Amino acid sequence: MESRTFPGTVDSIDQIRHYIMEISQAAGLGKKPTYNLMLAADEIATNIILYGYQEANQEGDIDVIHSLTDTELTVIFEDTATPFDPLQRELPDEEDLTKPLEERSIGGLGIFLTVQGVDEFSYEYVENRNRNIFKMYVVSSE
Amino acid sequence: MNVTIKTVKDITVIEAEGSIDSRTASEFEKNTVEATQEEDKVIIDLTKVEFLSSAGLRVLLMLYRQVKARNGKIVLVGVSEEIQDVMENTGFINFFILAELLEDGVNALS
Repeated sequence: MESRTFPGTVDSIDQIRHYIMEISQAAGLGKKPTYNLMLAADEIATNIILYGYQEANQEGDIDVIHSLTDTELTVIFEDTATPFDPLQRELPDEEDLTKPLEERSIGGLGIFLTVQGVDEFSYEYVENRNRNIFKMYVVSSE
Repeated sequence: MNVTIKTVKDITVIEAEGSIDSRTASEFEKNTVEATQEEDKVIIDLTKVEFLSSAGLRVLLMLYRQVKARNGKIVLVGVSEEIQDVMENTGFINFFILAELLEDGVNALS
């Protein structure tokens, strides 16, 4: 279990993304899973920073914790903003995603991409902290 | 990120470089919306864009609406496989013409 702390400011977004890339590559994830995890991390970090902290006039950090087993890479984002479960948001469904772009509402796309891009995504609120948990299955290279 | 705007024949070419995320999307939006205000042939060259989040998709959506309102067309050039996947999963891909190279994009609009 390794942990690194980033200040909850917009400048951290690409640093977090970069860090996730390093973690993914070290875990041996392929190019596409690496990109998808970076995308998921970017979307969730953006929500935490822009809505959890900035819009609420709160200051705080994001702790990025990760662990690797033979079968999976787990990355956890912990923050101290107001409880927010991304999975409670209404996600675009098949109908929304086939609508012409002229008629689209754009909400929920980031969380949709998050859920879709990782192998498992979950959320919990523990000891006054939001925990966004991303899991990527690791395929052995035998 | 950097945005360069040029004209090839009668086509407005927007060349983006870097990552388009929630931090940079507003700059990308400002530059591109201004440059395509009166245009009906637009190429967005994403060859040097390695990352595009939902904030970037949002800008593409707005550009699409703006250009489509004049019956114009947008060609996306050099979209990476990963970004193409994201555009496919979100149903964006069918609304844009995709081209591998800038010259293919120019041909598609000529």
